[in-house]
Amino acid sequence: MIRQHAQPRSGLTLPVTARFVCSQLRVFSALSDEKKALLQEGPDLQEFINGGLSDKKSWEEYRGNLKRQKGERLRLPPWLKTEIPLGKNYNKLKNTLRNLNLHTVCEEARCPNIGECWGGGEKGTATATIMLMGDTCTRGCRFCSVKTSRNPPPLDPDEPFNTANAIAEWNLDYVVLTSVDRDDLPDGGAKHFAATVSHLKERHSKIIVECLTPDFRGDLKAVETVAVSGLDVYAHNVETVRELQRTVRDPRARFDQSLRVLKHAKEVKPSLLSKTSIMLGLGETDSQVYATLKELREAGVDCVTLGQYMQPTKRHLKVDEYITPEKFKYWENVGNELGFLYTASGPLVRSSYKAGEFFLKKILRERTAEKN
Amino acid sequence: MKPRPAPSHWQPGTCGCDVSSSNSNMAVSGFRRLLVISECVLLKRLCQPAPSRSRHLSISRCGRNGLFSSSSRGASSNDAWGRRLLNTGARLQSSKDKVSVNFINRDGEKLKAEGNLGDSLLDVVVHNNLDIDGFGACEGTLACSTCHLIFEEPIYKKLDDITDEEMDMLDLAYGLSETSRLGCQICLKKWMDGMTVEVPSDVADARETKDIDSGS
Repeated sequence: MIRQHAQPRSGLTLPVTARFVCSQLRVFSALSDEKKALLQEGPDLQEFINGGLSDKKSWEEYRGNLKRQKGERLRLPPWLKTEIPLGKNYNKLKNTLRNLNLHTVCEEARCPNIGECWGGGEKGTATATIMLMGDTCTRGCRFCSVKTSRNPPPLDPDEPFNTANAIAEWNLDYVVLTSVDRDDLPDGGAKHFAATVSHLKERHSKIIVECLTPDFRGDLKAVETVAVSGLDVYAHNVETVRELQRTVRDPRARFDQSLRVLKHAKEVKPSLLSKTSIMLGLGETDSQVYATLKELREAGVDCVTLGQYMQPTKRHLKVDEYITPEKFKYWENVGNELGFLYTASGPLVRSSYKAGEFFLKKILRERTAEKN
Repeated sequence: MKPRPAPSHWQPGTCGCDVSSSNSNMAVSGFRRLLVISECVLLKRLCQPAPSRSRHLSISRCGRNGLFSSSSRGASSNDAWGRRLLNTGARLQSSKDKVSVNFINRDGEKLKAEGNLGDSLLDVVVHNNLDIDGFGACEGTLACSTCHLIFEEPIYKKLDDITDEEMDMLDLAYGLSETSRLGCQICLKKWMDGMTVEVPSDVADARETKDIDSGS
């Protein structure tokens, strides 16, 4: 009982007390013998920072579990392991973004390609997907780690201008703009988005702009505002197959609503290219994926990207299955057969991943075909 | 929106001076006594001013017990104060403020977890690493309905009133029932010890989803 011992006993002298304290502390600080043995003989630091990525040839030999069993969490297969982002370009981009108070979906959604895109691809052009309207979304989807809040901070009125400046500084020829969902704003942020695009085009008319927009809760007027702002590619992700929409996305998002957004953008401006993206590995079946692709093509969507879902934090959905690179190739062929302008399909492919290279290559191919 | 509960490491003390009797290790209780002695000396000096200052410290949505609830032993006010403040240190090891909750997962599996008084049910799920898929996507900011839980009728009746914001999000939840609440808004109280909550299934079957979609 504490009360009885609240006052030191009169017999205790200082040395005895001190020794007592030390012996108690030693009890807490000493390791058991087995732990000591583990430290001596177990893995050392080098084994944790091995740095080498597995060779592509070894991907076929990977025999780990790819389909999740009950209660299991799947290990990451070798084709999804990426380099730690480092380098001059990476740091330069990061500094520019912080100085101008800009956010990127690359950081907020923990994209595995961040090192590669920010570092600059084969041609050395670094690209980032700037996320407008802040880093906090008003919806909580179960696959996305972007921060969520009921009342995110108000819009930064300088953002359109700062974004345009930043992008002009990077000397890019293709840029992707995206945003969080802002259901708290009356127009969902459409005017802010459109303003950014028009500023950008003013400063840099030759740049190709792709916008990955929210669904604006189905508000087609807002869709129109963005569609006519001068962008070249209108993107909006359906994220998954029709059957899994309710499980994977926020309940305020729906497949038909998203399809309507994509259709409307093209109706308002037919010269636009429309684009969407699907995540695989959430428990969908092949027939569901095929049916979804077919529906998208019938809705007039021009481009589709397919990527592997990866669990961002423990509060999000577990990966149900890791799709092999061969299977992704299969879907690419399916997409091309169905008539999409281009299908980007791969485990690490994301909506805006190397979007520029694909687009430019495509255009160049078409131009050379026309010449011939 | 009601304030989120204070972090669980800050716990207002409850009345009672007993050191946990489950701790039979002499060495540990000896050490604790020493801790208690040194804290007592320090805190006796801090405790000189009026008690009201410390009442500001318990701002948890869930913690109702003030630091200075009346002592049943009739000790002098300063002594009682000092001892109760010390209690927080001792209590880090006591099991008196742990509440156990049973979860029935979507597939019927029973999961048992413990949380501290004042933790929300979302905190319990996350801290105990429970295998509930996609729970708490918005981190407890009332912007999703992924922490939707179904309570037993008698427990549901005793829960705190639902706020409008919670109601808005709960309305979007799949499989809504009469005794549904959002787990991030329910904070653990002593009377909840041993309660069972059910995690509703997220989607019944593909056909049903199609109906919902076409109706929208």
